[in-house]
Amino acid sequence: MTTTVLTRAVARLLLAPVLMVAAAVLVKGYADVGDGFAAGVIAALGVLLQYLAFGRAAVEQALPVRRAAQLAVGGLLLALAVAFPPVLGGGAPLQHAPAPGDEVVKLGSLELIGAVAFDVGVFALVLGMVVATIGLIAGTREEEAGRP
Amino acid sequence: MGAAAVAVAAVAAVAVLALWLSGGGGFDVAWLPSWNARLAFRLDGLGALYGLLATGIGVATFTYATAYLPRHLEHEERPQADGRRFHALMVLFMVAMLGLSTAQDLLLLFVFWDLTAVASYLLIGFDRQHREARLSALMALLVTGVSAVVLLIGFLVLRAEFGTTSIPALLERADGGSAVTLAGALIAVGALAKSAQAPLHFWLPRAMAAPTPVSAYLHSAAMVAAGVFLLSRLHPLLATSPVLLDGLLVVGLVSMAVGGLLALGEDHLKRLLAYSTIAQYGYVVTMLGVGGAAGAAAACFYVLAHALAKSALFMTSGAVTEATGARTLSETGGLGRAMPALAAGSGLAAAGLAALPLTIGFFKDELFFKAAAGRGPWLAVLAVASAALTFAYITRFWTGIFLGPRRRPARPLPARLVLPVVVLGGLVLAGGVLVGPFAALSEDAAEVTAAGPVAVAPAYHLDLRAENLMALAAYAAGLVLVLGRPALAGVLGWWRRLGGRAGPERAYVAGLAGLNRLSNAIHDIEVRDLRARVVAVLVPAGVLVGVGVAVTPFEGAYVAGSLSGSDLPLVVALATCMLAALIVTRLRRHVALAIALSGVGFTLAVAYALLGAPDVTLVAVLIETLLTLLFVAVFALLPRRILLREAALRPYGSRRIRDPIVGVISGVLVLLVVWAALSRPTPGGASADRQVDLAARAHGKDVVTVILADFRGLDTLVEVTVVLVALLGVAAVLRRGKLW
Repeated sequence: MTTTVLTRAVARLLLAPVLMVAAAVLVKGYADVGDGFAAGVIAALGVLLQYLAFGRAAVEQALPVRRAAQLAVGGLLLALAVAFPPVLGGGAPLQHAPAPGDEVVKLGSLELIGAVAFDVGVFALVLGMVVATIGLIAGTREEEAGRP
Repeated sequence: MGAAAVAVAAVAAVAVLALWLSGGGGFDVAWLPSWNARLAFRLDGLGALYGLLATGIGVATFTYATAYLPRHLEHEERPQADGRRFHALMVLFMVAMLGLSTAQDLLLLFVFWDLTAVASYLLIGFDRQHREARLSALMALLVTGVSAVVLLIGFLVLRAEFGTTSIPALLERADGGSAVTLAGALIAVGALAKSAQAPLHFWLPRAMAAPTPVSAYLHSAAMVAAGVFLLSRLHPLLATSPVLLDGLLVVGLVSMAVGGLLALGEDHLKRLLAYSTIAQYGYVVTMLGVGGAAGAAAACFYVLAHALAKSALFMTSGAVTEATGARTLSETGGLGRAMPALAAGSGLAAAGLAALPLTIGFFKDELFFKAAAGRGPWLAVLAVASAALTFAYITRFWTGIFLGPRRRPARPLPARLVLPVVVLGGLVLAGGVLVGPFAALSEDAAEVTAAGPVAVAPAYHLDLRAENLMALAAYAAGLVLVLGRPALAGVLGWWRRLGGRAGPERAYVAGLAGLNRLSNAIHDIEVRDLRARVVAVLVPAGVLVGVGVAVTPFEGAYVAGSLSGSDLPLVVALATCMLAALIVTRLRRHVALAIALSGVGFTLAVAYALLGAPDVTLVAVLIETLLTLLFVAVFALLPRRILLREAALRPYGSRRIRDPIVGVISGVLVLLVVWAALSRPTPGGASADRQVDLAARAHGKDVVTVILADFRGLDTLVEVTVVLVALLGVAAVLRRGKLW
């Protein structure tokens, strides 16, 4: 696939802002529009744009996309790790932590609560899933081309 | 590993015995509070009887297995390491039986019930390189597993009626109502299939494909005993309905006849014993059908006596096959001189099964005859007849192996293949001389079954009471059967052929084949091409939705609201969306199709935005972008000429008519459902307000995110798990499952 210089330049320029927006949607999600899922898709779109502009080989060299599946599994593990420890103490899965009314650790205006960590897990899972799928689809072409 | 299994069984046996002697005991902790189910275990008399059988016979068969299995694996040319799995499964089975016999909650009991079925599946199919073993394991699993579902339904009926799954509470509250009768019938079906009672008996002879220790354990004292155990455990509940008891009586008698006659005609050693097991558990079921103190006493004592003898006989058959290679009666004979210890041990066990005096078996028949005679003369006659059958086939089994001319040379056997038989034979003899402890154990068990005091007092009486006369009649008739068997060969062969031609196994095979064909037919329709898959989803869903729409009253279900000037942007967005959807149906080029589809999505996103749902809009826009880019990327990967050729193809054949019809019908039905849903005032208004209130307390300002990540977080968790599973699917298709 051939792409113009303009496409490539725009794609390169857009990657950082896209990831920035994704991060913003992720951490702001609990207080504003958006959540881990939307953030994951936004970030994945940025990566997909790179694939379209530069091709698989170049992207794999520049970005750690081969770790996408691991990222997805890690995201699920994080979500599970947030969800189930309360059960051991006799609580409900995904029990609100810290308990309502308790002091919340703040990072600027961001409030660090269990649900935010859970959302980060969802973000990692979605991003990893989409990027891994793109990588798999892009990989088949070359495998087929390499066949005798 | 084998030694460890023996040790575990021995420790468990001692523990059960000690606990029983100290008056029983148990514990009870919360398990599923919302279901009101508890982890309630209690070792009562009945639990002690079946627990001791599971552990005691376990010690004998596990010991036997330590010698049997290495040789078996060598024969089958399998690594010795596979033995570890076998011993672990046997122990698992024992644990399941212990749990089953002490569980005091129906749901808990069901868990152990299914655990026995799973362990039995793996054990019967242990020789997985043989097709026969695999099919037999599957048959045992299907017959006992499907009937277990019936059983579960019975449990749930009881729960619905009485609001509890606690067995003591249920037995207390059970009345003779129709719900109890229904539940009892369903439970009985499950239990009878497990105990291999006619007409669901056919899996047991097939299960003889299992290695011998499995048969000696599962098919004498454990798996098949679970069925009659359950009937005994819930007997007070079943006894509220005379119909159920009569049903048990009939099933028991039929099983006695079917099993006994087939055993008399069978040549294969283990299968003969399997038919005998069917008949023997038929006795027990008959006694449970007679009910009352006498029936309960006879049933409990019978299980105990039979398990000791039958387990020894199974191990005998395995030892004989091991020594000579013979698997059938016609290949064996005259082994008594070569292996006197085995002959003596199994002779005692056979005498026990044939109910000769000085063995525990005499008392089992004494109690059986007493209970049968108490019910009526016709049952007494049938009891004598089946005792005669038992006498005949077991005499034939033992004499066929150990007496007569020697047919094959016998290799010497290791002590551990003979010792368990001798020990169990010794127990059979001990029970005939000193019946006290055995009677006490079954008395305790029978009191649970009869839910009242029971006196089990077997003894020798040297007088002409009915039981003695019946025993004598049974011996005489049995001898006649043994001597006259050649004359009966024709009848027995006919009976066997009838079973093969019109028996329930045929129905099972035909049913399975029919299901397979149906599944294949649906599969063939479904996977012909991508459109067929879509149709396979849309048509059944459309039929269901159509039925739903048809039965819902139309009155007031479809309300059209009013339209004002401020709705104009929304109308424009929706009209654009409709236009894009119509264009999709006319386009043929792939990229154009993808772009038109994304047009539908984006205009819908605009509609969401106009309706004031920014979160939904964001997700819709993102997903549409992603999908469109993916489509374009995939098309870029495909060779251009293939895309052009595909686009130029006209729809062929039935598709030209089928696709529009399916599309229009599913579209109309979706329209009706959505319209009807939107026509109703939302019932969830109050809860939505509450969630908005709570969102602030949960430190969230965006209620959608708070719902997704917090209030309904568990749903989200399940959904993202599905996402990962989808990724696994993609990897399986594109890279043979390798994720990285």
